[in-house]
Amino acid sequence: MQDPITPAHEPPYVRIRNLDKVYQSRRGPVPALAGISLDIRDHEFLSIVGPSGCGKSTLLKCVAGLADISAGTIEIDGRNVVAGTPENLGMVFQRDVLLDWRTVIDNILLPVEFRRQRKSEWTDRGSKLLELFGLRGYERRFPWELSGGQRQRVAICRALLTDPRLLLMDEPFGALDALTRDELNFELQRIWLETRKTILFITHSITEAVFLGDRVIVMSHHPGRIEETITVDIPRPRRLSVRETPAFGAYTAEIRTTFERLGIMKKEN
Amino acid sequence: MASRPKAADRPAASSLLATLWARSSRVRTVLTVLVATVIVWELVCRLLALPPILLPAPTLVFVDLMKSPDWILIHTGYTLFATLAGFALAVIIGIALAVGIVYSPLLERTLYTLLVAFNSLPKVALAPLFIIWLGTGMSPKIAIALVIAIFAIVIDMVLGLRSVDPDMLDLAKTCNASPLQTLMKIRFPNALPSLFAGMKVAISLALVGAIVGEFVAADRGLGYVILSAQGLFDTTRMFSGLVVLGVLGTILFFLIDLAERLMLPWHVSRRSEAAPAPRHTP
Ligand SMILES: Nc1ncnc2c1ncn2[C@@H]1O[C@H](COP(=O)(O)OP(=O)(O)O)[C@@H](O)[C@H]1O
Ligand SMILES: [Mg+2]
Repeated sequence: MQDPITPAHEPPYVRIRNLDKVYQSRRGPVPALAGISLDIRDHEFLSIVGPSGCGKSTLLKCVAGLADISAGTIEIDGRNVVAGTPENLGMVFQRDVLLDWRTVIDNILLPVEFRRQRKSEWTDRGSKLLELFGLRGYERRFPWELSGGQRQRVAICRALLTDPRLLLMDEPFGALDALTRDELNFELQRIWLETRKTILFITHSITEAVFLGDRVIVMSHHPGRIEETITVDIPRPRRLSVRETPAFGAYTAEIRTTFERLGIMKKEN
Repeated sequence: MASRPKAADRPAASSLLATLWARSSRVRTVLTVLVATVIVWELVCRLLALPPILLPAPTLVFVDLMKSPDWILIHTGYTLFATLAGFALAVIIGIALAVGIVYSPLLERTLYTLLVAFNSLPKVALAPLFIIWLGTGMSPKIAIALVIAIFAIVIDMVLGLRSVDPDMLDLAKTCNASPLQTLMKIRFPNALPSLFAGMKVAISLALVGAIVGEFVAADRGLGYVILSAQGLFDTTRMFSGLVVLGVLGTILFFLIDLAERLMLPWHVSRRSEAAPAPRHTP
């Protein structure tokens, strides 16, 4: 097993140390995360895979400054994430959370509206992003005129609009059908290769985690802990067919074995 | 990945009539039922030879309406004004109260609790009180319409403002949106479908309020027409008033429905085409 912490000579972009998160609920405290330490390097694509309820969303919210942490530290680019969110990060959720009453382009421009910047200066970039995702000419459409995959593409465009260095994605393709999901997996890799964002990508699909990640962090639940970190040594660009190769299978098997050992997945024989 | 618009959205000129015909199916059903009712009503009156003082035939009512259309129209105007004024005030004040309730825990605990408790009171019982407070002119009618209508607005608007996807609010936070921006750009538009549902109930209730006000003390308005006709045992005239009232209520309801269709295409496109279930608590 490898260490999720990078060697000291390479300063990480995101640095998390001994993070605990306890929710206070009516039935008492709920420990959601315990002793999370991990680094995300600049330009890295980091996948986190774990069973439902293991605290993946919580971890993401802590990094985004949306949830206050119970113990430990989170630093982004050397700056502590306390209350309030870091300056420039993009977020994509499982549900696309597009505003139904706004056109596609106005949805994409929402972040700059919130930041009180001139929309007109960003329209061109919005259109370019749409084009990048194969949605050229969709500016004036409404979300309810789009398919699920197209809507999620728009949500990713919105997250990328202000060119954030860090992109946080919480099971972004979890609600899509398998074919669309494959398509978007491939597209996301392409966009990442072009833009080299730092991406924290959460999923409950082992295959997706390995296909997209430079590294995969495997989490277990009650409370959420890091069980294992795997470096995926498959050259890019990875084609979808790479998932049928023995090398790829070795990675997914390793993760599956970990889940079996933890009793998260039943052993099959 | 070009997705073509559905044929029903952009009809060719030739198929426009066919489209209109297909789309008006609900209206046609309503009209058919109405016409059938009127025919049955007429037949019952004639076949049973009912005296008009009990139940006047539709033709008699029609003749009565045509005798003095100007006079009826003027009284309709009074009632309409009281209804619309009460309704408009209910919408404006109701939205303001709902925003206050959603944003202030103090208002939520005090005002909202009070409103919900107050809602179970039959508001028409307040009418005599308003006459004492505001006299017998237009203002007490507006006030009663307002008081009856505002609950539907506040309660539905609070519901709408609260039912925001938490992820959406998180997204706004990551963009450093101010509370005002979150309200104006997310919560408020998100609450519009709910507001319209409330307004559809409120417009009918405002009409009830105006009529009740006119019943208690008035010398004009449709409520006055009905009540004074009762004093003369002029049942036909009473029915004239009722028919106009029914037409007025229906038109007002469908005007709001139309406004909703124009303003919230995203919502209407998703909503089932089933007729809304009536819910009334005047
Ligand atoms: N607001 C909250 N209050 C109390 N408990 C919560 C809250 N949010 C999440 N939890 C609990 O924390 C744990 C982790 O949740 P979450 O981060 O959503 O998991 P995941 O995204 O991996 O499915 C779960 O057991 C969940 O029930
Ligand atoms: Mg989750």
